[in-house]
Amino acid sequence: MSDDIIVLKELSKIYGNGVEVIALNKVSLTIKAGEFVSIVGPSGSGKSTLLNLIGLLDTPTNGQILLKGIDVSRASPDERARLRNRELGFVFQYHHLIPEFSALENVMIPMLIAGKSKSEARERASEYLKAVGLEDRLKSRPNQLSGGQNQRVAVARALVNHPSIVIGDELTGNLDTKTSDMIYELLRDLNRKINQTFILVTHDMTLAEKTDRILRIVDGKLVCELLRQDDGFRTTELCDLGEDGGKINLK
Amino acid sequence: MFEVDIAKRHIASNKKGTAFTVLTVAIAVGVIIMSLSISSGSLRQIVQNTVEKNPHILVMPKEGEDYIYLYRNLNQSLSQYPGVMASSPRMVGQGAARYRDQVEGIEFIGADPVSEDRLMQISESVVAGDFSELKFKRKAAFLGVTLAENLGVRPGNDIYLSLRNKTVKLKVAGLIEKGTVKDRTLVYITLDVAQDLAGQGDVVSEVGVKLKDYRDAPDMAEEIRALTAYRVESWQDFNREIARFLGTQSRINILFYGLIFLVSGFVVANTTIMIVRRRTKEIGMLMAMGATRYSILKIFLLENLMLSPAAGLLGIAVGVAFGKAIESYPLDMGSGEMGITRIVLDLRPEFAIYALFFALLLNILAGIYPAYLASGLDPVEAIGSE
Ligand SMILES: Nc1ncnc2c1ncn2[C@@H]1O[C@H](COP(=O)(O)OP(=O)(O)OP(=O)(O)O)[C@@H](O)[C@H]1O
Ligand SMILES: [Mg+2]
Repeated sequence: MSDDIIVLKELSKIYGNGVEVIALNKVSLTIKAGEFVSIVGPSGSGKSTLLNLIGLLDTPTNGQILLKGIDVSRASPDERARLRNRELGFVFQYHHLIPEFSALENVMIPMLIAGKSKSEARERASEYLKAVGLEDRLKSRPNQLSGGQNQRVAVARALVNHPSIVIGDELTGNLDTKTSDMIYELLRDLNRKINQTFILVTHDMTLAEKTDRILRIVDGKLVCELLRQDDGFRTTELCDLGEDGGKINLK
Repeated sequence: MFEVDIAKRHIASNKKGTAFTVLTVAIAVGVIIMSLSISSGSLRQIVQNTVEKNPHILVMPKEGEDYIYLYRNLNQSLSQYPGVMASSPRMVGQGAARYRDQVEGIEFIGADPVSEDRLMQISESVVAGDFSELKFKRKAAFLGVTLAENLGVRPGNDIYLSLRNKTVKLKVAGLIEKGTVKDRTLVYITLDVAQDLAGQGDVVSEVGVKLKDYRDAPDMAEEIRALTAYRVESWQDFNREIARFLGTQSRINILFYGLIFLVSGFVVANTTIMIVRRRTKEIGMLMAMGATRYSILKIFLLENLMLSPAAGLLGIAVGVAFGKAIESYPLDMGSGEMGITRIVLDLRPEFAIYALFFALLLNILAGIYPAYLASGLDPVEAIGSE
């Protein structure tokens, strides 16, 4: 049980401004600490909604979220802010850096929010920027960097506080294959070394195939789950990967 | 305190908004400082020209009597009162003055020039002649300038002063300009002559008292009333207009400052709301990274707060500059009832402290609502906003 870092129980999110939109429909899911999970699915299927709920940015309409065994689905805003800072690292679909701050300063912020000293924050932030290949762009502002470079700054920012869970929404979306591979290797390395849990939404099936587990969401429902086994994936249910690519090597 | 760093960066990167807020607060503070120093200056002038040029307290005959008989004793004991600066027994009355074929109604005051000067600061208003001459020249008179003009007399001319059936011939020894309506009727003569005119022997009609602090007058009047049988009035009693004016003045000012505060508060709040709007996405990001609502509130409050010293100092400069400009402008207000002839600034050091305090208060009050708005944003919506 202590191994289950995230447990979702019948999680639903319904948006209701006039017309009801069921963005997420009774999703139940367990993610173990140290798992490297990818989420795939068509546009508008509810992937970002699910990440926002797991990331404690949003509250579910129904159902529960257990983080390290504790029900956090109805936690107070301050408690959730504290958990976001301590346990979670977020990379958004669009990088969302603060424009007036340099790359280094942007990466420092989560540590400063956590109450770390500036010198410690600066040191660790440059370390992570180096790891994403931006050691020579520490002083650059977001508008002086390319989309992909900004995305890498955002990755460094999500990792810098050593969160137990890192959530990425299309985190390699803006990157070329080479940089994308480099970021994946970085994340994988952290995953092995400090047992960080990764949950990545992606359209890139090549990336998805490198993860331990692929979850497919369609119309707010978890329709398919693939688990890595040896060099292929196995599934217990009938899985139609459809447009995301049916070429996955099923056992 | 990452909030401070972020607030600082916001200020530095939004020069226009910062300048606008600082300027708004500075102008508000400046106008308040300016009007504070103008009204304080006017007040001082009014007090100087009215209250300080009149007795603070008048001791008058006992009930049922027309004159004070033992005035020397009374004057003696009054002058020994703590808080009393001067006291002067006077014979006052109304009569007529004639020069050639011109006749004017007058109010005469017969008194000892030295104590009268201490009581009324008369020599400050003497525009011709030497007031102390009244001491030695029995048959001398000092006339209000307008009265002299209306009669067509000059210093050195002889005039006739009449009361009922008595008439005395006096030499005009000098002129007095108080800057009030008194200039049209006032005649100063010696106590002797006034007593002669009244024909009641060695008596006076009142004893004027001047205090070290004019504000003590009502209390002091009460005290004298309790100790003697004389009728006693403080300047607030016989100068109701001025007393009321001084009283309402401060209330009008407070209303005025309140209005300035309100208007500039709205302007500053509006600017801050605009700043919050522009930073909605960033607020969402900060929240996603774990900044609490309180931190967000703090960032935007700090942002406003950090501007107040600059705004306060600039406000002082603006206020002094405006004030000086108005002061130097030759504004002829005529000889008003209250004795104000021109605008005089009274810039007091404590106004600088008020200025900084105003600025601080304005910035805090105008920052609370926008900061509260910012802290209440929903992170997902904020991040998704454009
Ligand atoms: N704030 C909202 N109000 C109403 N409906 C919303 C809101 N946010 C999302 N939705 C709807 O919920 C559904 C799921 O949206 P979501 O953003 O989770 O999709 P997604 O899988 O991330 O899509 P994409 O791959 O394009 O990013 C969509 O139909 C979307 O229109
Ligand atoms: Mg999405």
